[in-house]
Amino acid sequence: MKLRFNRKQLCIPYAVFLVFFVLAPLFVILYYAFTDGQGKISFSNFANFFTNTNTLGTLLYSFSLAIVTTLVCLVIAYPTAYILARSNLKKKYVLLLLFILPMWINFTLRITALKEILSLLEGNISAYPFLNSVIGMTYDFMPFMILPLYTSLLKLDKSLLEAASDLGGNKLTVFLRVTLPLSVPGIISGMTMVLLPSMTNYVVLDMLYNSTYIMGSLIGSYFSAYDWNNGSMISLVLLVIIFIVTLVTNRFSDKDSNARGAVL
Amino acid sequence: MKYLKKIAALSFATLLGGAIVVSGAGCAEKKQTVVLRVCNWEEYIDLGDWDSEELIDIDNPFSDEGEGVFGDNSIVDDFTEWFNAEHDYKVEVEYSTFGTNEDLYNRLSLGDEYDLVCPSDYMLMKLIDEGNYVPFSEEFLDADREGNYYAQGVSRYIDCGEDSIFVEYGWSGIAACYMWGTTGLVYNPEQLQDVSDVASWDMLANENYKRQVTIKDNVRDAYFATLGIINSEKLKGGLSAEERSTVLNDTDDGTIAAAEDMLKRIKENVYSFETDSGKADMVTGKVIANLQWSGDAVYIMDEADAEETELWYSVPDECTNLWFDGWLMLKDGVEGNERRQQAAEAFVNFLSRPDNAVRNMYYIGYTSAVADGMVFDYMDWNYGAEEDEEEIFEYDLSYFFGEGYSLTTGTADFEFEDGSGAINRGRQLFAQYPPANVIERSVVMLDFGDRLSVINGMWINVRCLDVKDISPVVWGVVSALAALSAGGVCLYVFRYKLFIKSRPKKGYEKIENK
Repeated sequence: MKLRFNRKQLCIPYAVFLVFFVLAPLFVILYYAFTDGQGKISFSNFANFFTNTNTLGTLLYSFSLAIVTTLVCLVIAYPTAYILARSNLKKKYVLLLLFILPMWINFTLRITALKEILSLLEGNISAYPFLNSVIGMTYDFMPFMILPLYTSLLKLDKSLLEAASDLGGNKLTVFLRVTLPLSVPGIISGMTMVLLPSMTNYVVLDMLYNSTYIMGSLIGSYFSAYDWNNGSMISLVLLVIIFIVTLVTNRFSDKDSNARGAVL
Repeated sequence: MKYLKKIAALSFATLLGGAIVVSGAGCAEKKQTVVLRVCNWEEYIDLGDWDSEELIDIDNPFSDEGEGVFGDNSIVDDFTEWFNAEHDYKVEVEYSTFGTNEDLYNRLSLGDEYDLVCPSDYMLMKLIDEGNYVPFSEEFLDADREGNYYAQGVSRYIDCGEDSIFVEYGWSGIAACYMWGTTGLVYNPEQLQDVSDVASWDMLANENYKRQVTIKDNVRDAYFATLGIINSEKLKGGLSAEERSTVLNDTDDGTIAAAEDMLKRIKENVYSFETDSGKADMVTGKVIANLQWSGDAVYIMDEADAEETELWYSVPDECTNLWFDGWLMLKDGVEGNERRQQAAEAFVNFLSRPDNAVRNMYYIGYTSAVADGMVFDYMDWNYGAEEDEEEIFEYDLSYFFGEGYSLTTGTADFEFEDGSGAINRGRQLFAQYPPANVIERSVVMLDFGDRLSVINGMWINVRCLDVKDISPVVWGVVSALAALSAGGVCLYVFRYKLFIKSRPKKGYEKIENK
């Protein structure tokens, strides 16, 4: 007997994984989100989400935290990635490694260290909860921003830059009209990779003493009061929001690869 | 050749036969195994592996070689060894842990099966109300039977006594108390402006200590302390035990609303809501006071002593939450399985054996429900007065250990009230065994029952940002920012229409224009 695999069969392991650990839990969430405690179908959880000012406030708070974090990450990571990709250093992989290195250390450990450093700098760290949360998340998610930016900047065809400057563009124009548009896919994927997890990563907030809830901790508090239904509904709405964000950003980056064609 | 084959076959047969006989003998000796699934709090049992200088040097009738109490292996391993030696079947313990009572309950409702669990009082109530338990057998409760360390050793104040708390609440015979304690404030006396500040739960909302006090990230403890603040006058004025219990278990809408306002004030005032970080923050001096359970308070004070910082424990004058963690046999696992029930009861008895109670107390810092003389010896060994100590007094522990038990100890670790001489603040011994005047104002906090969702709603109101509470200034700034960025995007998208008359279709045109 001869074992034969075609390409489709090779994705069976992943399909099994998908069914058990992604699809099945999703259906459980769906079930809980649209039932009341007694197992009857109900939309009260859904209504509750949009009428409860706390939930909306928390959503807003999570969003602003995530957006600020993403912007800070972008502002710091872009020049770094740019310099790294542009440099003629032979050892730039070692340099890149230095930026990725923190990822190899357990993140609770990193945040604990950060807590001590912030305490040294600020004195009483509980006085600046929002600032600290942004710093903590930036620290945590920075590699996710640097890596995609670095790869998209590295891929960039140098002859385009030369052409641009030959045609009379000064450095700023070259950057704004060529480098920046061509790195948009990197920016977008970096932003999604930072924005989405930082909306729910409440461990950082907990460890840095921010006593205001974000979405993750709100869900947790419903679960600890045995209210699976409202908790699931919040998770579900969050999932939909994330889905929409991903959809929008995907379109955005697609459009820009067309734009790249236009430039070429 | 044939001959050789024959020999080979013969020897093979002998070998095979021998093997069968040997394995048959093995079968005869092999005992049946019962699996006991235990679920306990994290870090709530002695895991052994002590350093040799950690030996607790007291008389130990249970040790074979030499004196003293020493944790070599974990208690769970010791139990397995002890049980298997005494019974005609084997036990295997599957030991797992949980982080919060709610976590345990959720796991049970999701279908995790355990035989023996150790939740706190209110969760015991909830599980008992739902009928998810098997009561302990009559033999287990028979104090005259040998090896019934729980029935023999448990403090008559807690269980098995006529007026004991477990009897009063109807848990006796259903649950077996493991550890107990109070809630209070751990504080650093050197950094307080006035030591009377920690005599009230109001410490949490006291603006003189803005961002210097932590509170537990836990609805129940926070709610209890808040009720203490709100009803401060009433509680200090002297109430009967019943009235006090009613006041502190009040879940009326009005009370919850008042608690919400107070908790919002507390949130603005405290350093953090902590689940576990409070211990370290207290020891390192990041905060100067911390709402704690008595057992953790002992742990914190021990740790701080090692760092040469002296911390104290205060039970506020209003009230304290008297809490218990107890063993409960669950229905799904134990019902109809006699051997497993026997093993579960043996496990509780083994933990209640005085030497093991001492080991656990040493290892985790909490106070065991066992009131054996050996536990008292351990307290004496730990906190008893030195021979050359000048200022000593008798610390009365008769309510717990029984008539005549009082510990001669130094006065340095206690603060005596002027006039009455009552003790409301002290160090380790005070935290482990509160004196009678503290017990008097203690209250058992009951399960919230169906009011839980309302109280959780209140908690969410406290912890979440409410859209309604956002100030108009913030709204203005945010909407301005949003408008600006929207405008920016529009400008970018329509940049050719607005600024550059003709969109450059070919690059060279543009250069020529230049």
